[in-house]
Amino acid sequence: MTVLVVSNIDLTANLQVIKPASFLESTIKEPTLNLSNEYRYMKTGYYVSMHAEILGNRVIPSCEDIIDSSRTPLLLLRAAKAGVPTLPSLVTDSVKKIMTELGFPVILFAVNPFIYDGFKIAQNKSALYRAMKSLGMNYKFAVCAQPLKGDLLTVKSFFGKVASAEPQAELIAKKVYETFKIPVCKLHIQKTVDKAYLCGLQPVEKEELSREDLQTISKEVLLISEQGEPFGV
Amino acid sequence: MSKIACFVEKYNFTDPREEGALANFKSAAEESGNQFNFLFRENISDVPKYDSVFIRATTDPLNTAYVVSKTAWELGMKVIDDPESITVCGNKIHQYALFEKYNVPHIPTVFLSKDELHHKKINDIFGELGKPVVIKAPYTSFSRYVEKAACETSFRDVAKRFFKKSDVLAIQKFTPTAFDWRVGVLNNDVLYVCKYMIPKGKWKHGAKLRGKPTVVWGRTVSLHKQLMPSRLREVALKACSVVGKGLYGVDIKEVDGRYVVVEVNDNPSIYAGYEDSSDDDIYQRIISYLSE
Repeated sequence: MTVLVVSNIDLTANLQVIKPASFLESTIKEPTLNLSNEYRYMKTGYYVSMHAEILGNRVIPSCEDIIDSSRTPLLLLRAAKAGVPTLPSLVTDSVKKIMTELGFPVILFAVNPFIYDGFKIAQNKSALYRAMKSLGMNYKFAVCAQPLKGDLLTVKSFFGKVASAEPQAELIAKKVYETFKIPVCKLHIQKTVDKAYLCGLQPVEKEELSREDLQTISKEVLLISEQGEPFGV
Repeated sequence: MSKIACFVEKYNFTDPREEGALANFKSAAEESGNQFNFLFRENISDVPKYDSVFIRATTDPLNTAYVVSKTAWELGMKVIDDPESITVCGNKIHQYALFEKYNVPHIPTVFLSKDELHHKKINDIFGELGKPVVIKAPYTSFSRYVEKAACETSFRDVAKRFFKKSDVLAIQKFTPTAFDWRVGVLNNDVLYVCKYMIPKGKWKHGAKLRGKPTVVWGRTVSLHKQLMPSRLREVALKACSVVGKGLYGVDIKEVDGRYVVVEVNDNPSIYAGYEDSSDDDIYQRIISYLSE
């Protein structure tokens, strides 16, 4: 089986790859692997998956998974359904509600059309007000709040594999990939003494991709184009 | 008896006509023995306590409304607007690509990618669609982010602004008409029909007065749905069928006796005394759909 690899990342191996701009002009009907460091909604990485879906191609990742994985409340909801450990979260614009239901410290992610990266941690009331003001764009939008119970660990995930030696992080990355099929992303994970919880997913900047990362990605892409996995063929 | 949550934001109550429509939905639900509660964003976590969700707050894949819709859908609840409809209607590039695939008659449209914004491409577009053209950002709603360009300078100016949020834009043939048909559709059936009149001297339903920030809206002329031209009905239903089975407002232009789709909107405006003036059963029909 042939797998069409559309990529905005320069892979190291000798792989047949087509650039997003050429794919968007084409009508190639093949299972499509959309490889991008950034799948933000309405950016080229998103339109590649959309174009593949319109052509009727099976595509990784799907538009639905791109949107859901970048909306923290939906990421947590669907991940929890798939058995990934998560902490209870709140979508709200009320400082009071966060304080009474979650307490401190809390970690906050934006839920609005404008902010797509970063998060804020608040240890006290005034920090929470400031965080809500900036992530909620002057309280215009709600935010997604989760209690912060341990240390925050950020790992790069390539096809669900992480370089971390942390077995719980490995398991989370694997399950998140099985659920959302986002080939390249960063995962934020909370680590307590004995447990780990998924907390957020964000794009990886191109500059953050090391030579080893590119090799890992290329190896996975090679495997997929040879075996047709994970297209289920 | 069904428990219906109506997801709204404060701005849904600022216009008395919309407030009136929301009150009509509530009484329609209660008259038929259902519960109908307004759900604001601070109580989103209550979604699982309901049987169905009706979203009236503005939808977009990046808004809280999408989170509400997808949460309800994941829980197996009936929801208007469903996540798929929000995705396709919230991005007009997605929508026009589907129209092309399934041969839905629509306004001549070409897509423009961010890296194609150069002299030759712009010239080709003017050659193909004539001058002026209409530049549309995929996230347009309420006539916003739709602008006209008659020369390369203004084309670049508008496109650059819209490219800040989206890497692909839709460019359309400028097609001025005295009004747009607005056909309300629910679950593959026509709910209501109106004419959204274009204000005099303008080219879209909601237009700004020169140099002023206020938007003037054209009149809404309602029509009994039995009186609508049958071809208009066909085109409206065909356009919706490629999007989904939810609640839509289809904008259609009549050009030289042909009906061409401008766009299908999810979350269509429903104002008391406007969309409902000829077919006042729209509230009951939407409630029945949600409580079935």
